[in-house]
Amino acid sequence: MPRSDTATEDRRQPVIALDAVTVRYGTKRAPVTAVRDVQLTVAEGEFVVLVGPSGCGKTTLLRTVAGFERVAAGTVDVRERVGVVFQQPRLFPWRTVGGNIAFALARRGVPRPERAARVAELLERVGLPGTAGRRVWELSGGQQQRVAIARALATEPRVLLMDEPFAALDALTRERLQEEVRALAAASGTTVLFVTHSAEEAVLLGSRVLVMAAEPGRIVAELPVDLPREPPLAGHGLRGTPEFAALRQRLTETMRGVPEEVSEGVEAAPVP
Amino acid sequence: MSLTQAARRTTEPARKPPERSASSTPAGPSGTNSRLLALRWLALRAVALVVLLAVWHLVVVAEVWPRVLVPSPGDVWHAFVQASTTHDGVRGYSGHLLIEHLGVSLRRIGVGTGYAVLVGVPLGLVIGVVKPVAVVLEPAVTFLRTLPPLAYLSLLVIWFGIDESPKIWLLVIAALPPVAAATAAAVRTVPGDLVEAARSLGGGPLTLLLAVRLPAALPEILTGIRIAVGVAYTSVVAAETINGVPGIGGMIRDAQRYNQTDLVIAGIIAIGISGIALDAALRGVERAAVPWRGRT
Ligand SMILES: Nc1ncnc2c1ncn2[C@@H]1O[C@H](COP(=O)(O)OP(=O)(O)O)[C@@H](O)[C@H]1O
Ligand SMILES: [Mg+2]
Repeated sequence: MPRSDTATEDRRQPVIALDAVTVRYGTKRAPVTAVRDVQLTVAEGEFVVLVGPSGCGKTTLLRTVAGFERVAAGTVDVRERVGVVFQQPRLFPWRTVGGNIAFALARRGVPRPERAARVAELLERVGLPGTAGRRVWELSGGQQQRVAIARALATEPRVLLMDEPFAALDALTRERLQEEVRALAAASGTTVLFVTHSAEEAVLLGSRVLVMAAEPGRIVAELPVDLPREPPLAGHGLRGTPEFAALRQRLTETMRGVPEEVSEGVEAAPVP
Repeated sequence: MSLTQAARRTTEPARKPPERSASSTPAGPSGTNSRLLALRWLALRAVALVVLLAVWHLVVVAEVWPRVLVPSPGDVWHAFVQASTTHDGVRGYSGHLLIEHLGVSLRRIGVGTGYAVLVGVPLGLVIGVVKPVAVVLEPAVTFLRTLPPLAYLSLLVIWFGIDESPKIWLLVIAALPPVAAATAAAVRTVPGDLVEAARSLGGGPLTLLLAVRLPAALPEILTGIRIAVGVAYTSVVAAETINGVPGIGGMIRDAQRYNQTDLVIAGIIAIGISGIALDAALRGVERAAVPWRGRT
């Protein structure tokens, strides 16, 4: 298969480094190990996708990187400021669209007089110009998710963590947002750790795909994605290429094969 | 998501945010239909009221009870007019028009509830987020809430005399528990995912409290305030049992002393109607202040 550029990426400064991380939920007496002994290094500028069946610990791993979960074992080292985009937009309904973004700007210490201009600029970047004064519930799900992305970008994160951000959207909106996120990340050099359960989305977005399996949640395979992403093939143009189809096929097989191979007795996870 | 919904941690299953469309706003034939229906319910209410007045009138005419005890609707209306006008050189009742009595009481309710909100909201916030404070103060708030205002009126009179301050104190004590309890309960049930989102944007504890928990709790806080106003309303007559004139409670109290049953009833009706109006106004304020309620 295509030449992997993992070697070159390894030389870059790691911005996320998880070492032997285990996360447990539940009580001491009845613990649930959501993630066990995970090793994960993400270099600056990488677009890493975590893919796996539901319940395999993707969200847990992402939340651990975000600092929302306490690890039971191992170390978490995140060098840069992170921004998080959740599956649901999680916008503040008592604030306008612009107010939601201004909240993030205020946290970054952007002085009040400069906020309006920055809000307008960020909304422009996510394709929602002129919507600063709108109430959030007037927007569609896709538009709300764009605002959530703009709000996360407002903190100028060097690392963007995204947890199935497009899973709740219709196919067309999803395609458009996938393309935009890929372009945004490429243009700004932002490191992205992206969670999905879709092999298609993983190959489309990632420069490296990590496959997870459940019970306990762990990373079982790694797949470098080395696809041409120059203008004619950027974004969804990629989908029609045989390379894309082959890679997606390989990933699907890896995902399908993983549960039976690695831990017997676990029922095969559904692959979308 | 609704604000009362418990914090949901995981991200599945996918809940699709409601897509708004033009058809979701009532318009056209269904709009006029519902308006007609509302009109019909209003008519039913009017009919019920007329029936009530008629039965009342008949009972009085039949002299089931002595007229001093049960005056007719006409007597009550007369007492209302007398209390609302200057006649024979007497201004209303005890030198004040009924509307002025009512106004003084409303002012007391407003001031009392105002202090209750000023103290109750911060108190509720602290109770809601600081566990040790909750352990100590929550039973105290519940204790206060269960007391009938007349029970502590005597104490307030001993401490503060018989002028304005014991009345205000009584209303504050009556109105504070619902505000504090509603605020505490509301900040506790603020959706965890909003708090988490704010935290991921760099919000510190104070920002989370004032810029996330407080506004997220606002719908329930406003409901608590509306309940507090209602409690103050039912307590104002108690507050005005001693030296309550001017004041609608004081007026009723005096009228009772002189067996002016018609004026007592007129006063009760005035309290009831103004209470309904105030409640409707507060609901309006609630809707205007939290337009997102039920929409996310
Ligand atoms: N707050 C929690 N309490 C208890 N168990 C949890 C909690 N969150 C997740 N889990 C469990 O941890 C495992 C991994 O969950 P999660 O990280 O959400 O998976 P994914 O995002 O891949 O669907 C699952 O078995 C899930 O039931
Ligand atoms: Mg998940």
